[in-house]
Amino acid sequence: MQAKWTIAPAPHVRDNVTSRRIMIDVCLALAPAGIMSIVYFGAAAAGLIAISVLTCVLTEYLYQRLTGAKVTVGDWSAVVTGLLLAYNIPASAPWWIPVVGGVFAILIVKQLFGGIGSNFMNPALTARAVLFISWGSIMGAYPATQLMADTVSGATPLALLAEDASQVNLVDLLIGNCGGVLGETCKIALILGGVYLIVRGIIDWRVPACFIGMVFVCYLFMGGFDLALKEILAGGLMLGAFFMATDYATTPTSVLGRCIMGAGCGLLCFVIRAFANYPEGCSFAILFMNVATPLIDRFTMTKHFGEVKKHG
Amino acid sequence: MSTFLAILVGQILVNNYVMCQFFGICPFLGVSKKFDTALGMGLAVTFVITVASFITWLVQSFVLTPFHLEYLQTIAFILVIAVLVQLVEMALKKLSYSLYQALGVYLPLITTNCVVLAVAINNITDGYNLLESTFSGFCSALGFTLALLLLAGIRERMEVSNMPKWMQGFPGALIMAGLMAVAFMGFGGLI
Amino acid sequence: MAEARRNPGFGGVFMNGLITENPTFTLMLGMCPTLGVTTAAMNGVSMGLATTFVLVFSNLFISLLRNIIPDKVRIPAYIVIIASFVTMIDLIMQAFLPDLRAVLGTYIQLIVVNCIIFARAESFAAKNPPLLSLADGLGMGLGFTVSITLLSCIRELFGSGSIFGFSVMPEAYQPMAIMNMVPGGFITLGLMMVLVNFIKKALSARKEARA
Repeated sequence: MQAKWTIAPAPHVRDNVTSRRIMIDVCLALAPAGIMSIVYFGAAAAGLIAISVLTCVLTEYLYQRLTGAKVTVGDWSAVVTGLLLAYNIPASAPWWIPVVGGVFAILIVKQLFGGIGSNFMNPALTARAVLFISWGSIMGAYPATQLMADTVSGATPLALLAEDASQVNLVDLLIGNCGGVLGETCKIALILGGVYLIVRGIIDWRVPACFIGMVFVCYLFMGGFDLALKEILAGGLMLGAFFMATDYATTPTSVLGRCIMGAGCGLLCFVIRAFANYPEGCSFAILFMNVATPLIDRFTMTKHFGEVKKHG
Repeated sequence: MSTFLAILVGQILVNNYVMCQFFGICPFLGVSKKFDTALGMGLAVTFVITVASFITWLVQSFVLTPFHLEYLQTIAFILVIAVLVQLVEMALKKLSYSLYQALGVYLPLITTNCVVLAVAINNITDGYNLLESTFSGFCSALGFTLALLLLAGIRERMEVSNMPKWMQGFPGALIMAGLMAVAFMGFGGLI
Repeated sequence: MAEARRNPGFGGVFMNGLITENPTFTLMLGMCPTLGVTTAAMNGVSMGLATTFVLVFSNLFISLLRNIIPDKVRIPAYIVIIASFVTMIDLIMQAFLPDLRAVLGTYIQLIVVNCIIFARAESFAAKNPPLLSLADGLGMGLGFTVSITLLSCIRELFGSGSIFGFSVMPEAYQPMAIMNMVPGGFITLGLMMVLVNFIKKALSARKEARA
């Protein structure tokens, strides 16, 4: 099951064909959630996704042309960033939100550090956090889906769960008939995409498993099985666990390291959701673990062949 | 007990002196190139801040306040810190030469590390008692060390990546620190 | 410039601090106030001027006393001199500009550990006559002021849509709140340095091409 490319740490993946194939697979895996978001939120969703992807690809192309670097738009990684960014934006957002986010993600988080494989934080997620901190009222407004009754508009499942778990219908959560950002609502589509990536050997199942498992266990102790089950299906957890916490460049390389990364994300996600200002801790949890990844690597990495521990 | 938990979480994550408040940026950027030096600096700072919090609280409560000399706080505290750093250096040299060799080079730099003075002043402003002040100093220092180690880890990784030339050194470190601070913002409101 | 460096007069030393060895962009000193108070242009200017005040007088006095202070206790001696001037400016601000003092907060007291002041005391004032030290303090202080004012203008422009409190952005502009927070400070300064490096590289390339 363990595919061979997961062994190589991200900076060494230089083969354009390989990363291109991986990125196209990720796009395919993201497609169902995208289609569902257009079903739920209509043309606004399609527009935001298009703007976001276009901005990301264009930024990457222009930056590489201007600095005289090799243009690597063909590896599809900017498309993936664009999709992920769009999936983290609510349908009611104005057009400039994905533009600002896309430029920030590609230019500052990715290209300034050397492009694909060199970023130390997930570009789409960092951009989302920046947008969220800057324009909280825009990024935090969750319009109701087209199928929803008006009465529940605006409230996300997470906000409802914080009050009373019985308000939330499990089936609605699964099919995505609930408030939220574009890509996070339909859990079935996301799980489908995640399983596809795992079967294709593109992502390591341990990260999402530890991540989701940890959140589940924490809520199990806090509020019982019903709450725990609904919490893992609410908010951006599935999107984050399958598609963002598994980014090659920002995830530890060793098996143990990945388990620590997943569990750490889960724990922080629980802590932020349950105790902090922000209703959804998933993105900040992943970002924090991204930051900690080099340290996790340092303490879990097997010694390089021939390396001798220095004394004194 | 809950005060101590609040101090612990607050000083390390929510109000981390480096990542959330802009203190101690010079050593943060200056000695974060290598993990090992960052660790050495972190340990030395932890020691000095903890002891300095203890002593400056005593100075404030038994010298400055009773004699109405509060306006001399800055001078008194910075003197205490400078003398303390000097004493620690001398004591380490005598007691444990290996530790001195490991931490010695960082000690003179600590005098101008503004986290030390900021923690000492904030302890008084926040009205902590002696135990809380010392604990708060210790936790702040842990927060500083955490930020330092995280940045060192990232910078060591970036050594092997192909960062553009104009990003290497300080500009890159600043932007890394900025992105790290984004991640730290998620903890807002935890306490 | 080369002429001035060979025979540094008052003006040469002053320009050196202001531009050639700008404390923020070249020496990377005094980062904490640079990032901490630069959310509004007014704060940047005030912080810069307060630091300049301390820097000028500490440089002057340390230079005057440079032959009297024994080498072994020079650090505590410098600290006492610097801390005295910091306390002075702190008390002056509390008396005449209490609002500004409240905004700048602990950072005023922390001028005492601003590494610019220490670095200039140690590397310049301790070795040079009073008049030159004064010039150095003035140049470095104003160089610092200009840099942090520039930084705070950019942050205020994007973070609040105004400069020195006057709104300049079109009505529809939605302020980017993160610019006023810690990440915005780090990233803006980082990008400014990238720009400075870029310009320097271009200038030196042109100079080489000419030579």
